[in-house]
Amino acid sequence: MTKQLGFLHNSEKCVGCQGCEMACKNEYQTDAAPRWRQVFQLREEDYSLPTRMFFSMACNHCANPECLRVCPVKAYTKREDGIVVHDHDRCIGCRLCLMACPYDRPQFNPAQKKVEKCNLCYQRIDKGEKPACVAACIPEALQLVEINEALDQRMGVLKTLPGLPSPDITQPAIRFIGPKQGKQIRRD
Amino acid sequence: MKLSRRQFIGGTAAAAAGAALFNFNLLTKSVTAADDSLEEMKTFRNVCPRNCYDTCGQISYVQNGILKKVEGDPKHGYTNGKLCLKGYTYTRRVYSPDRVKYPMKQTPRGSGNWTRISWDEAMDTIAKKILELKSRYGSTLPICFNKYSGNFGIVHYGAEGTMSSIGYTTRALGTPCWPAGIDAQTYDFGTLYSNDPEDMVNAKYLILWGQNAAWTAIHTLPFINKARERGAKLVVIDPVLTSTASKADLYIQINSSTDGALALGMARYILDNNWVDWDYARNNSVGFDEWVDYLKTNITLDWASEKTGVPQDIIREIAREYATTKPASMWVGYGMQRHINGGQNVRIIDALGVMTGNVGKSGGGVNYGHLETWGFSYNAMVNPAPKGSKGFIGPDGKEGDRNINMNNFAHDVMAQNDPPVKMLWLACRNPGSQDPDTNAIEKMFAAMEFVVTVDSFFNKTVQMSDIVLPATTHFEDWDVMASYWHYWIGINQRAIDPLYESKSDVEIAMLLSEKMNALEPGSCTFPTSGTPEEWAAKEFNPGIHSLLGISDYRELIEGPRKAKMTPASWADGKFRTPSKKIEIHSDLAEKNGLPALPVWVEDMKAPEKYPIRLFTPHPQHGLHSQFQNLDWMMTANPEPKVEIHPVLAAKYGISEGDKVKIYNDLGSIIVKAHLTRTTSPEVIVSYEAWYKDSNFNVNYTLKATPSDMGKQATGNNGVAFHDNFVTIEKA
Repeated sequence: MTKQLGFLHNSEKCVGCQGCEMACKNEYQTDAAPRWRQVFQLREEDYSLPTRMFFSMACNHCANPECLRVCPVKAYTKREDGIVVHDHDRCIGCRLCLMACPYDRPQFNPAQKKVEKCNLCYQRIDKGEKPACVAACIPEALQLVEINEALDQRMGVLKTLPGLPSPDITQPAIRFIGPKQGKQIRRD
Repeated sequence: MKLSRRQFIGGTAAAAAGAALFNFNLLTKSVTAADDSLEEMKTFRNVCPRNCYDTCGQISYVQNGILKKVEGDPKHGYTNGKLCLKGYTYTRRVYSPDRVKYPMKQTPRGSGNWTRISWDEAMDTIAKKILELKSRYGSTLPICFNKYSGNFGIVHYGAEGTMSSIGYTTRALGTPCWPAGIDAQTYDFGTLYSNDPEDMVNAKYLILWGQNAAWTAIHTLPFINKARERGAKLVVIDPVLTSTASKADLYIQINSSTDGALALGMARYILDNNWVDWDYARNNSVGFDEWVDYLKTNITLDWASEKTGVPQDIIREIAREYATTKPASMWVGYGMQRHINGGQNVRIIDALGVMTGNVGKSGGGVNYGHLETWGFSYNAMVNPAPKGSKGFIGPDGKEGDRNINMNNFAHDVMAQNDPPVKMLWLACRNPGSQDPDTNAIEKMFAAMEFVVTVDSFFNKTVQMSDIVLPATTHFEDWDVMASYWHYWIGINQRAIDPLYESKSDVEIAMLLSEKMNALEPGSCTFPTSGTPEEWAAKEFNPGIHSLLGISDYRELIEGPRKAKMTPASWADGKFRTPSKKIEIHSDLAEKNGLPALPVWVEDMKAPEKYPIRLFTPHPQHGLHSQFQNLDWMMTANPEPKVEIHPVLAAKYGISEGDKVKIYNDLGSIIVKAHLTRTTSPEVIVSYEAWYKDSNFNVNYTLKATPSDMGKQATGNNGVAFHDNFVTIEKA
């Protein structure tokens, strides 16, 4: 592997609009149930003030992908650029990957009885385009980045957020910028 | 590396190869499986026609006549090539298995027993009913028409044209959403006219007053963020800590409906510190000194703080910052005027903008909306009544349509006697879900002889209809759309053929006209020819051409155009009031029974029996009753909820996830509780929406209480949607 592509999500900018989630569905015209990308709300109680705070997560294209390790039919491969690609034709729908992934990102499609997930729009990337979710993000909260030392040393870049599994398990290729809270004049 | 089919379809260019993987029934039926039969992808220009600030430019991707995906139009300078979550779901709307596919009749009404009928049978039934009512009552006034914002495409005014072409009818007049604020700005400035939202980048200070852009105008956020990157402070004032408020530098959770009191407190402090732009205010307005006297005599910070629940030091802070950081922009949301004093509160905020000289300035303004770019021909809307038509004699002695209040629709329909209303025609409108007092709406529908609805889905209104006519989506139509917020206009091309037997409002009007004239020659004046593109072309006129700098509508196929207007509204100081100045003192308001000055008007207090305010704001996943029913949306947001502050929930013994009954004298709803401190202990919040296979409807508890303004510019006052009081219990 020569590099590791991944996502940088900025909760300071994200308004939880779910545009990324729908842009993904629009690009691939997926069925309703599988959510290759999903926006999650951060818990109010984990922060000093109650605000609406979010992060958006698709497959994290982990450095140590558990899905790849457990797949009995080798449906998962990891590209040179770090993208973990799922081969839908090989998949037998056994769902071992669903149990293995700490982030619940492989998605079972009940209509096709197979798993599917974000392949980081590698065909778009190979053409020099941004992933559909990144291209659609109006507040520019979601970015495609190279996960490396320089990124991790940038101020405010976090490896995890409250409530997420430890990144030590799979070394996910996602980084976060946490939410920023302003001053509030409240009635409670 | 060998590409499997599934991997292959990940790419745009290859999306077609996977046609068989598309689940839509239609696709598998329409497309032959062989790959070599696939055409090259075509693109078309579209504009999202929903009742939304953003009115996005869209590019539709079409192959073999099938809409493959929808993207933002990069040539649109405000929406900038991106869509909101709703905009990305359009394939699911177009190809939804739930679409109304054919004309259908329901026997009996409300039974769900729908039968497919031909267009000919549908038109024959409708035309005969119209003619029978006309002969029974001597006019077409028993036919009542209600249309509003389901599709704001200009050609859709052909729905109004359908009615005018059969004679004088009863019309639902008004607008539920925003008329109090429109009147406020009409009294103050002569009309509503906001700065170009792209100009917000020039603001050095921003107050979003009851405005949740993150959900309702998300494409403005990049401009706001740009201003913030340049150092502007963002203040959000809202009773609910919205997604937008969550991003603010300062969020103020104000007492509902007391926005005017806060603005008055700010004005008093600005006055006391002489931060007033006396030159601007005195040169451009009438009555300013009279209002200053009112501030001196009646307003104290103590009072403002008591009313609003906002500490005095915060009132001082935002007053100082707003008055001294120039230019400062204010954006007044529609939610804050949905109160019995909502229009008056907007007038006070307007005055605050005038007093600080922020009106008419780039980066400033008291921004609410505008209709400056809507000067189309309305060709499809205007038809002469057939010869010999009998109309309603209005108070001015003129014969015409009989206008009733859209915002008290159920009551007003039932109140008509001479002649009574017997038939409803609904287009681009879903009162069954969106009007206040759903029980009254249901009773009124039940009392009708005949109901026709033009729609795309079997929504609540369709469920109460005799005949439903299948409406096209905007991808199946030609049209042109403007925005009430940004300054862009775009052409909407027909990207795909109409699905099933769907037709546009104009095509329906043409069919009806043919049928009526066959049954009774001369009974309908609507033209019977014209292609959809010709109808759209007729909406253009020299005024629109010059506003956009084009000489032909086809130039818009190259990309949407922005109207040639100054970035700041009112920059020329030519106000459109009777005095041609800003009317801080408005004789017109006084004549209409309102205060002449922007003075405090009391808010509605909660009755003892129903101490909790129920807010029912616009949802994130839909636009009124549109979008939430689609399968992708049902996955993203499967069920409604009510947001309750933990303190209030504890008082009523309610825990997270409990079913809660919300009720008052009018009705009740049952919905799941979500405990959150984003609302206050006095206010619960449940977002209006129409979920698939659900009877959830927030309007069962909502009384048709009028807001204070709206009559002057829109014919009727608005609805005080946010002055709704209830109580709750664990269901």
